[in-house]
Amino acid sequence: MWSDSLLIVFISICTAFLGEGLTWILVYRTEKYQKLKVEVERQSKKLEKRKEAHGDSLDKQHKKKIEREEERLKNNNRDLSLVKMKSMFAIGFAFTALLSMFNSIFDGRVVAKLPFYPISWIQGLSHRNLPGDNYTDCSFIFLYILCTMSIRQNIQKLLGFAPSRAASKQGGALFATPPAQFK
Amino acid sequence: MSSKTKSVDGSKCKGESPWKRAFVANAEWPDKEEFLDVIYWMRQAMGIILGLFWGLLPLKGFLGLVLFVAVNAAVIYIYVNNFQNIDEEEYGGMWEITKEGFMTSFAGFLVTWIIIYTGLHIGDSSL
Repeated sequence: MWSDSLLIVFISICTAFLGEGLTWILVYRTEKYQKLKVEVERQSKKLEKRKEAHGDSLDKQHKKKIEREEERLKNNNRDLSLVKMKSMFAIGFAFTALLSMFNSIFDGRVVAKLPFYPISWIQGLSHRNLPGDNYTDCSFIFLYILCTMSIRQNIQKLLGFAPSRAASKQGGALFATPPAQFK
Repeated sequence: MSSKTKSVDGSKCKGESPWKRAFVANAEWPDKEEFLDVIYWMRQAMGIILGLFWGLLPLKGFLGLVLFVAVNAAVIYIYVNNFQNIDEEEYGGMWEITKEGFMTSFAGFLVTWIIIYTGLHIGDSSL
């Protein structure tokens, strides 16, 4: 059982590096992405500073300026997501295939024992495709998702690919990159 | 108040690497991102260390989860308020600091806890 869990950690480290590597080849190293990223970060920081300085003032001119900058930032953010999207789709498909392959390899196998009793809406994930009703048994998919959540984001941050806080904050919920990507 | 303290010893560790400053009380953080990064990585390390401990003991059940959240939040709170004396409003309130990197650290904690617990306390016969 332990070897299975360690193997899953290893698999998720490999897939995280593979995913980041592919994204680097398809997105991060392109000139368009780099330009947009720098631009978005610069604008986000500028906007944040401006909002801090004139946040409460009722000055129409400042308000208009802020609105105009917000609009520009929104457009840049949209372009940035578009640049990312195409390759993300490709990588998403590849990883879904990879995931279903691993899923079938570990099908019906208890890969770890949970030291806690999972709540009902997690049980569907933590006990997926497992026989019996001992809910402390852990399935491949649950451990894999947890590993990916921690490893992928940390690798992104280490390599400097994670979006800056200012950009995600200013980008709003629609364009902000989700904190953890499973694929 | 804290900004007053900072201006008295304002030169504290200026220009040094953020990791050196992280272990110096009341250090100055001109770049907010650097401080949030320190909090982020501290959290990740704490997640793995607590996961190791919980697995070695072993701590089981809901108590383990609650205790992790409590210890994690308390350590960060004490570090920010008592050790670094940061003005939390500069960072958008204590909540923003408290949730910085929390989910990633929680996932890291769960992985370490589950794996150590499985390896040390569950025999392969139960397979």
